[in-house]
Amino acid sequence: MDNGYVNARVKGMYSRLLDKGSLSNLILKPDISSLITALEDTPYREDLERALVLKPGLSGIEEALRQNFVRTIQKIKGFLEGEKSERYIAIFSSRWDIHNLKTILRGKRIYVPSGQIRENLIPAGEFDEALLSELLKQPDIRSVIDLLATFDVSYAAPLTEVFPEYTEKSDLIILENALDRFYYERVIGLVQGKSTEEQIIRQLVQTEIDLINLKSILMMVRDDIDPDDGERILLEGGRVFNLKKLRVMLKLGSVAGVIESLEGTPYRFLEDLRSTEGDNLKISAYQHLLDEYMIRHAVRLYRGDPLSVTVVIGFLWAKYTEIMNLRIIARCKNALISPEEMEAEMVYV
Amino acid sequence: MEQVHPTRMELMKKRSQILLAEQGRDLLKEKMEALIQEFFKIMVNFSESREGLEQLAIEADLALLVAEAVDDPVAVKSASYATKRQIMVDIAGKNIMGVPVPVIQKKSVALNVMERGYGLIGTSSRINEAAEKFEAEMDMIIRLAETETTLRRLGNEIQMNRRRVNALDQIIIPELKEQAKYIRFSIEEREREDLFRLKKVKKLIERKKKKKLMASVS
Repeated sequence: MDNGYVNARVKGMYSRLLDKGSLSNLILKPDISSLITALEDTPYREDLERALVLKPGLSGIEEALRQNFVRTIQKIKGFLEGEKSERYIAIFSSRWDIHNLKTILRGKRIYVPSGQIRENLIPAGEFDEALLSELLKQPDIRSVIDLLATFDVSYAAPLTEVFPEYTEKSDLIILENALDRFYYERVIGLVQGKSTEEQIIRQLVQTEIDLINLKSILMMVRDDIDPDDGERILLEGGRVFNLKKLRVMLKLGSVAGVIESLEGTPYRFLEDLRSTEGDNLKISAYQHLLDEYMIRHAVRLYRGDPLSVTVVIGFLWAKYTEIMNLRIIARCKNALISPEEMEAEMVYV
Repeated sequence: MEQVHPTRMELMKKRSQILLAEQGRDLLKEKMEALIQEFFKIMVNFSESREGLEQLAIEADLALLVAEAVDDPVAVKSASYATKRQIMVDIAGKNIMGVPVPVIQKKSVALNVMERGYGLIGTSSRINEAAEKFEAEMDMIIRLAETETTLRRLGNEIQMNRRRVNALDQIIIPELKEQAKYIRFSIEEREREDLFRLKKVKKLIERKKKKKLMASVS
């Protein structure tokens, strides 16, 4: 498929992403005010001006970053409207639907006012403003699921299926797992074709599934979770790990054991970290490496076939990473964290 | 000085009051020493725990900062909706040297990743670690609440005892002694007066007897 026009626009947008030097300059800014001033010379100026009117300082920056991200995704969706490639972008953006849906379900469960729930939604996915508003108006979880079914939203099916179990156990994890499982099954289903770009995207999603499973296993093993309970969390369809292998890893009983079992897989780099830092390392340190691996893997797609939709996907990941880096700089600047510690949390692509 | 009747009965009463006050003072002093010992025993652990709590609070704040910075504050806030719950504590009581102190019985606030209420797949380990740190901080706060209340009550009791001992030592016992001394002096004075009076009477009687004898002789 020829995405020449869209990719040319995306390449223009990619060229405006902040490079390592610009990020380093931002890290060296003495305070939040000077960071805002510096960001006003970047493509974030418009979003900053709008956000800072309502929220000053750090909250304003974070709001601006979110708005910019939402705007970027919508802009790209606009380029691809009606094209076959649109569904590949939906793979990326739908994760914010999952976030929004989970936030609404969590909020409704403890009767959080709709206004407060709305503040934590990111309308970057497929749900439009009208649907989100209607979902927020619902009084409880049951009504939210019913409304999704009425609006024929695909997420209604998995939620309706597990709702009786949720009612019985009153455990939100049941609904959240059903949503996550459905999302990844649907995504894998979308990229079952034999074209090169579908293969590349499938590999990316499969890698993401592997990394999610690995992170989940590390957390569960550390907390001594019963392997039978842990199995419910595992996702099928990974690139390297099938369910059988994942079950074996879950039964290894120690984080060190799990890391050692990665020998011979693309994720053996975790072993290097363990050997240099020791066995008492936090799971978040491993997750940082896994996130970094995922981001690098995804951003590499940008440098693939210049006419493929993978360029757009690579750009979206790069944009997501830039926003994450800017948020880290702003938060750490606000808390007077040293530049070295700040950089340790950032990911350069 | 308080109005006292300088009688032997009153003196005996005062002496028994002094004895009672001195016994009370000694008992209070012993109690105070025991309370102070108990206070310092708890204080050593408390200071260490307090430093531990401060360290935990710093670590929890840092973990939250990292989670909000990397995963976005909205993701953290969203996860917090799923974890909202009540913490039940049973408060019983026990006595330390007659001082009622609380005993807080509770299950640990700390949960494992499957118990926090949110799905593991979409939640980062950074958010989990922040939750873990705050749970540990909450556990420590509840434990310290028991110790701090115990220390505060023991401290109040020690202070109250010290005031009682001081009042006995410096006001009540000296006053009673002063009163006893006054009564003793008054009684002695009265005895001396009685003796003098008796001698005087005896002298008068003798003089009268002598006069009568002289008259009968003449």
